[in-house]
Amino acid sequence: MADLTQSVFGVEWQSPVLLASGTCGYGEEYADLIPLAEIGGIVTKAVSLEPRPGNPPHRVSETPGGMINAIGLQNVGLAAFIREKLPWLAENLSRARVLINVVGHSASDFEAVVAGLDGEEGFLGYEINVSCPNVKDGTLFGTDPSALADLVSTLRRVTSRPLIVKLTPNVPDIGLYARICEDNGADGLSAINTFPGMLIDVEQRRPVIGNVSGGISGPAILPMGVYLTWRARRSTGLPIIGIGGIRSAEDALQYVLAGASLVQIGTALFVDPEVAVEVHRGVAAYCARAESALRDLVGGVMIPERE
Amino acid sequence: MGRPIRDWAEIREVRSAAAETWWVELDSPGIAATAEPGQFVMVGLGLGQVSAPFLPRPFSVGMAGPDRTVGLLLREFGSGTRRLAQLREGDRVLLLGPLGRAFSVPSDRPVVCVAGGVGLAPFLFLAADQNRTGRQVQLLYGERTADRVFAPSLIEELTGVAPIVYTEDGTAGRSGRVLEGIRPEEAPALLACGPTPMLQAVARLAQERELSLQVSVEEHMGCGIGTCQGCVVRSASGEWIKSCTEGPVFDARELSWPT
Repeated sequence: MADLTQSVFGVEWQSPVLLASGTCGYGEEYADLIPLAEIGGIVTKAVSLEPRPGNPPHRVSETPGGMINAIGLQNVGLAAFIREKLPWLAENLSRARVLINVVGHSASDFEAVVAGLDGEEGFLGYEINVSCPNVKDGTLFGTDPSALADLVSTLRRVTSRPLIVKLTPNVPDIGLYARICEDNGADGLSAINTFPGMLIDVEQRRPVIGNVSGGISGPAILPMGVYLTWRARRSTGLPIIGIGGIRSAEDALQYVLAGASLVQIGTALFVDPEVAVEVHRGVAAYCARAESALRDLVGGVMIPERE
Repeated sequence: MGRPIRDWAEIREVRSAAAETWWVELDSPGIAATAEPGQFVMVGLGLGQVSAPFLPRPFSVGMAGPDRTVGLLLREFGSGTRRLAQLREGDRVLLLGPLGRAFSVPSDRPVVCVAGGVGLAPFLFLAADQNRTGRQVQLLYGERTADRVFAPSLIEELTGVAPIVYTEDGTAGRSGRVLEGIRPEEAPALLACGPTPMLQAVARLAQERELSLQVSVEEHMGCGIGTCQGCVVRSASGEWIKSCTEGPVFDARELSWPT
């Protein structure tokens, strides 16, 4: 029997597989298709203080080996999230952990959302989204070291729940941002959000995406995500949730060996919702074959020494 | 309406129906048993490969019935649909469905289906479904040119209804736009599916003549089940609403139309 259990963010995880923010709604939408009780958890669609309308269509399109999206963080806002979405999570997800993805225009916006949620039930902690490429100020905090430091320390004062920062890949040195998160009291990192990109319809000579640019996700970004996870791992002792292009157990294990304790699956869910459980089972089979507990594989990639 | 099912479905039959246009029948008893006209399925090739179509594509259910099969109208538009068009009997595709809101067919007045291009698909199912219960709907069907016209004999075989065909260049059926076949004085209930300019024209007519109109819309789609919020259209009150779960069938008055 493979041992996939890990103690991360102060709790026990039965599975390393989570569903990524923006791809699993508020959990309820996939309840008929994915046995949520068998996986590690879900990360909700971003929650902002006020409702957000989102971007004009087209919002999604296929790109080679993946997709581009520019949803624009459309969401119901904090009050409606607490009233309409959180009760379902509290009632139905007892085994799978829930992280709430939080977004804001300013540090005080983020602070208000975290403060507003903190006394509620039905979730474990927060994934702080400082890395959305599809809104004007989406990566402001993720690409400015001092703004990031201020944000993380501010939020640390507001909550004692796990505080996980979702990093953007769009920086020269992700290790710098990983260290800033650690130094200012974060509990973990999600690496990575989407890469900014663009798709042009050559017949129309117009961008396909209504927002002009969007975030690239899917198998095409797997090696970049694995690399950035490894880079972040070398810079910080914080637990990392690996994200980007995972569609198989082998993909997930690449992230684990690069240094991720947990992983998130996103775009692949749209292709086949069964992928979440298949990755979980595949990782279990690998651990059984390797006669190794999952926790002992984290960061276990062997880098050959050069002459 | 049934809950969505994930199903690796085997292709039973592929028939050529017009230029770059195919009628595909799949063995999918679960979806066939619960789908209603106007609903759709996501059609993909699974995660074993990453070339187009990597993301599944939404297709109106073109037929579903007691013989366990789901019928789809497939036209080649881009690399993804071209690849799907190469599939043959015995190949499998990954289906997710049935999804979305179906047409609500009124029983108190004549029903006229207004189809443009592949917008014909949901009305094949709807016309056949109505025909089984002894009701005849009128089917107005427009294409640009004759070579695009889905074989009328196949439409009649599938639905029991003879379509009234329009082509813009007059090379088949009646010459002109499909809109010209609507007789507002008979106060029909209009059901429409097709390119956006056609839907806009029908919506304008329905508003001017105070006719009831349901439209089935199409927008680029990610998940098909309401999580990604990719497939939005503008509501009458100006909000972006999801065509996958709140639609794809809307009362025309629920949507915002350019004036």
